[in-house]
Amino acid sequence: MKRIAIDPITRLEGHGKITIFLNDEGAVDNAYLQIPELRGFEKFVEGLPVEEIPRVVTRICGV
Amino acid sequence: MKLNIGIYWGAACGGCDVAILDTHEKLLEIADMADIHLWPIAMDFKYSDVRAMKDGYLDAVLFSGGVRNSENEEIAKLLRAKTKTMIALGACAQMGGVPGLANMYTREDILKRVYLESESTANTEGIVPLEGAKNGAHELELPRFYNTVKTLSQVVDVDYTIPGCPPASMQIYSALGLIWDNMLPKKGSIIGAGDRALCDECSRKKSEKTITKIFRTHEKLPDAETCFLEQGFICLGPATRSGCGSRCIKSGTPCRGCYGPLDDVADQGIKMLSALASVIEAKDEKDIDAVLDTVVDPLRTFHRFSLASSILRRKKA
Amino acid sequence: MAFEPRIVGFLCNWCTYTGADLAGTARVKYSPNIRSIRVMCSGRVDPVFVIKALYEGADGVLLGGCHPGDCHYQEGNYKALRRYLLLKRILPEYGIEPGRVRLEWVSASEGERFGRVVDEFTEEIRKLGPLKIKESIFESMRGDVLHESERSEQTGEAR
Repeated sequence: MKRIAIDPITRLEGHGKITIFLNDEGAVDNAYLQIPELRGFEKFVEGLPVEEIPRVVTRICGV
Repeated sequence: MKLNIGIYWGAACGGCDVAILDTHEKLLEIADMADIHLWPIAMDFKYSDVRAMKDGYLDAVLFSGGVRNSENEEIAKLLRAKTKTMIALGACAQMGGVPGLANMYTREDILKRVYLESESTANTEGIVPLEGAKNGAHELELPRFYNTVKTLSQVVDVDYTIPGCPPASMQIYSALGLIWDNMLPKKGSIIGAGDRALCDECSRKKSEKTITKIFRTHEKLPDAETCFLEQGFICLGPATRSGCGSRCIKSGTPCRGCYGPLDDVADQGIKMLSALASVIEAKDEKDIDAVLDTVVDPLRTFHRFSLASSILRRKKA
Repeated sequence: MAFEPRIVGFLCNWCTYTGADLAGTARVKYSPNIRSIRVMCSGRVDPVFVIKALYEGADGVLLGGCHPGDCHYQEGNYKALRRYLLLKRILPEYGIEPGRVRLEWVSASEGERFGRVVDEFTEEIRKLGPLKIKESIFESMRGDVLHESERSEQTGEAR
């Protein structure tokens, strides 16, 4: 079995990697897209003053 | 000879990369100055390309984003080995930035909220990310999600810092010019910013400050000429480095502190706390408390960008 | 070993520090737990000093200034009071008991009272127990380490 890693995937906002497993015949057995990134905005915006939310969540993606 | 540079992001939003792109036609000058060997947002280089470089091959790395997981740390260390000059780009690399607010919670709090409790997430099987997983013969890894957001300098040796969320584009351009012209100041300096407080370059009218109530943005319209603090809006100008060109102030919004503290200030947020308390009018404990009751969420307001770099760094368990 | 609170005191030159001096010359007995630092005015105490003291191992911080109206610099003690009240509001958010920081007005003539304040505060801190904030912060980061990922040599990476 052969393993091909595309790490990182590029020309987009954020982190990602693709891992492809090939079987002995060289055909794709399975491919996985993984997002090795988490910042947790869902949690840390809790309890912030409401006027802060638009100014904080713009830092989720600045592209 | 052209410079060899790398541009990378850790726990970032890409805003710093866009700020580089926002140099517009100056980007062509940057391209004349430097060959870029890593820039995930714009160019297709892999980590394997970086690993294959000789140590010290790169002249400079611009690293935006904080260190949120083991991959961020691993790549930061890898790039540190490959570059002669490590530059923290932007508030997240410098101070943890907005994602550093996660330091008010633990790793478990965050994973639980994001993957199990979020109203918009359908996850009936209760799957959370694992560092290692097997699907038959296929083995996969994910980085370790840290308990505490770290700044770049808490993980690797940082030579220079370009502050801002995002850094003003022309400041990035001028900072790159310093490398190109071999005019970099002493190690550890802040480049691409001023060395005085934002208030010093603010054009609003200032007189004696005597605050009797703090206003939130929806509670009253600020006038366009008077100092925000004097009007009762929390403005982090007194505790924040200049260099942004007062872009928020000019847009009618108080400063929120993204350019970080001045030299020799150990804790931007606590410094702002001190500045704000100093200009409150009241002298009697009860009256002071009445004013302080109008300060909403003080800790995170003062540390909007700087919690991870503050002295205490996170909420104690 | 029994817990002995470590207390840092920032005492103003004109009142509280002089009061502490008086406590000494009058041979007032009080808890030896306080480490006094003389500052020219309670208004000179940057809250960063307080945070730094707690971080570096103090279990409590005592701020001492002149009584309201008596400040040698007119307004310094009011500034100290406002900073203290605001600081107390954020300490719980950091997970620190607000009672670990205390502001007291002690005049130059109140040597005995200075001793009483230190005794009382020491007992309060003794009840709260050790803070050990640096240790707890570093303990909470213990799991934040690069794990040995098994990126083997045969892993093919492709463009």
